[in-house]
Amino acid sequence: MRRERIVADVSQLPTVVYGMRNLVSWGTTGFMIIEGFSLGLCAVTYVYLRKNTAVWPPHGTQLPQLLVPTINLAVMVLSLPLALWTKHRAERMERGATRVGLVLSSIVAVVVFGLRLAEFASLHTQWNSSAYGSIAWTILGFQGTLILIDMYDTIGITAIMFLRPESKWYPEVADNALYWIFTVASWIPLYFLIYFGPRWL
Amino acid sequence: MTATARVETLVEPELDLELDAVWRNRPGFIGWLTTTDHKSIAKRYVATAFIFFLLAGVEAATMRAQLSRPENGILGPDRYNQFFTMHGTTMMFLFAVPVMIGVGLYLVPLLVGARNVAFPRANAMGYWVYLIGGVLIYGGFFVNSGPDAGWFAYTPLSGPEFSPGKRVDIWAQMITFTEIAALIAAVIIITTAFRMRSPGMSLNRIPIMVWASVVMSFMIIFAMPSVATASLFLAMDRLISTHFFNAAEGGDALLWQHLFWFFGHPEVYIMFLPGTGIISSLLPSFTRRSVFGYPALVLSIIATGFIAFGLWVHHMFATPLPQLGQSFFTAASALVAIPNGIQIFCWIATIWTGRPIFRTPLLFAIGSIIIFVMGGMTGVMIASVPFDLQVHDTYFIVAHFHYVILGGVVFPLFAGMYYWFPKVTGRMLSETAGKWNFWLMFIGVHATFFPMHQLGMEGMPRRVYTYLEGTGWGDLNLVASLGALVIFSSVVVFLGNVIHSLRHGAIAGANPWDAESLEWATTSPAPSYNFANTPVVSGRAPLWESGDELPVMTGLARDRQQVLLTTVLDAEPDSRHDHPGHTIWPFIVALTIGIFFITLIFSPWGLPIGTVLGFIAYARYIWPKKSHEPAIVELPRSVPAAEVPK
Repeated sequence: MRRERIVADVSQLPTVVYGMRNLVSWGTTGFMIIEGFSLGLCAVTYVYLRKNTAVWPPHGTQLPQLLVPTINLAVMVLSLPLALWTKHRAERMERGATRVGLVLSSIVAVVVFGLRLAEFASLHTQWNSSAYGSIAWTILGFQGTLILIDMYDTIGITAIMFLRPESKWYPEVADNALYWIFTVASWIPLYFLIYFGPRWL
Repeated sequence: MTATARVETLVEPELDLELDAVWRNRPGFIGWLTTTDHKSIAKRYVATAFIFFLLAGVEAATMRAQLSRPENGILGPDRYNQFFTMHGTTMMFLFAVPVMIGVGLYLVPLLVGARNVAFPRANAMGYWVYLIGGVLIYGGFFVNSGPDAGWFAYTPLSGPEFSPGKRVDIWAQMITFTEIAALIAAVIIITTAFRMRSPGMSLNRIPIMVWASVVMSFMIIFAMPSVATASLFLAMDRLISTHFFNAAEGGDALLWQHLFWFFGHPEVYIMFLPGTGIISSLLPSFTRRSVFGYPALVLSIIATGFIAFGLWVHHMFATPLPQLGQSFFTAASALVAIPNGIQIFCWIATIWTGRPIFRTPLLFAIGSIIIFVMGGMTGVMIASVPFDLQVHDTYFIVAHFHYVILGGVVFPLFAGMYYWFPKVTGRMLSETAGKWNFWLMFIGVHATFFPMHQLGMEGMPRRVYTYLEGTGWGDLNLVASLGALVIFSSVVVFLGNVIHSLRHGAIAGANPWDAESLEWATTSPAPSYNFANTPVVSGRAPLWESGDELPVMTGLARDRQQVLLTTVLDAEPDSRHDHPGHTIWPFIVALTIGIFFITLIFSPWGLPIGTVLGFIAYARYIWPKKSHEPAIVELPRSVPAAEVPK
């Protein structure tokens, strides 16, 4: 049997760390890459399908309406400072402020998700009307699932921070805020693709 | 971290008992459903994948029986379509990728000296999702609803117009299940390899098998979304009448080919790179020297991973392409031969300058090199557009990719089975049976697939259920079918060897091959916690370099599942992380995912029902247990100490 020589003791290493030192952040980042890349493939599909018809959107399809989608985009962009503020409060382990940030973030996520559902009517086409309708609905719906997942996560971690607010959850709050920033950032180019693509492409 | 200079013989039975009480699986059936031990889950991946390998082998043997003579009547055209689709689908999605994932999930923590993988609950969930996908498609197949549009399911053949019924829907959802499982495993392997390595295992000391698994995982992350997106589009075209692939409404059938092959070509390397990792891992044990050209091997693996994403259009040379596109993809296809060639030269140099011991793992490794090089040579031939157009969709292509996959995946896998079987089971496989296994398989592969080159040149197309006597293809087909029997018999020898050795094999001991890497530092089989203390490494061959005394670090918790996290580049101890322990909830979340996707095949109600069930199950999955001890917190450096609340 091989003998062992003890060269160090790790029992005083921290158990709560932030950012990419936190293991969970690696999982979150991995899935942000996967989801971001999948959305990118949908965007490529949108551009690929564009070449198949002389006009875009196809004949008989109205241009998408801009009001509701633009309001939603504005809400999403304006929520970024809230996400950053919540992240910073969590990094300082300020329980009260973190809870306030989480409650507000949950409300924002619900509002954004509701507006996203309303956005489908703004497309002025159905998923089964044409390939244009199919890809526009898919991008809107796919990115909407990211909002849904974030809404679920945010409400869940808000509940945890009220019911079982242990220190190990603060890095998760910071992670959750980062995921919201990703959700908003992934939407900005897709917003322009879906709502201005039919006008410019 | 406290540095100590104690030197002691570590015989601490109470430590082993305490750790085992915390890490071991629960007893009985419930333990089977709740385990989050990477070894249990990985063994399951490998065993399940091997069952699918056998099923696909039976399908292949049946097809070869059908083709053994002209106008044979064993399989009719419809059944034959299902057989070749199931064979390809099973081998690619249910065998080759999952088995390599299983090998990675088993070995990566042991090779880096960790107690488990990162995200052990997700790991368990991934396996169950994979299993559900496999059971779904075979359930369909056994009730005559097996997919029949080929393993790459080209549109418009696979679309609603030409493939009515549920066959292709089942195929598309099976893709979704296997993609979810693969993506979860990829994130787990990357995180384990970058954050859970033993102290001292800097990037330039990572075992090549780990590098291969990491590159495979990155490739999965960038390739699988493409087929997942494609199969989502296909499922929607079929189930809710979208028009992604319907040219009449602005869709595009070639869009499918682009999305599929953007996944499909990297898929070849996703399967093959772990195979190269296996060969590089076992060569030192059987040549008694470290592998030649470590930096070149690692860089070749990474380069192959990158180049693999620039080749997909060579599967589409028979479609209308701009000439510049043809030239680019021809060049890229030839280019990938360079890093693969470098690997092969490094292996040859290792064997050449070492003292080779021709045990079964080395025989399979050498067989792999020979067969893969032959497949690679025909690959360079069909990278050329004019040649490809002549042999496109003929048996020449069937010969080419079977040489590549058998040489690049199956032979290394068998080499790995013989090499690591002692570590997994504690017993050796029989060497005599192993040599029979090798020679039968080596001869069988050539007998089966070499004649197919000629059949392809003579114009025999793929995917025909029979051929006429006058074609003159009967003799070569008969040789190929007899060869398939030889391969089949070699697999039977392997199975017999495994079954016999599990009970009667020689006891292996911790390191029966006198190998260099960390998995051999622990007992065979490894205990539930892998390593009682965390090994510390100071080179690429830790066991050869440390002599009889392995440096270790102590201090991880004994009363709960805790792992050590280290820094990405230099693997310096950074923090400790508590694992959640064994739980049933990954299994239940996987079931809700199954309900979601399988119900969707038949009704849109799958969407709300599956979502609600999934969210409920996931809430329980994630809900925290009470912590055991006060946390030691380290805030981000960006936070000034003055701002931290007391």
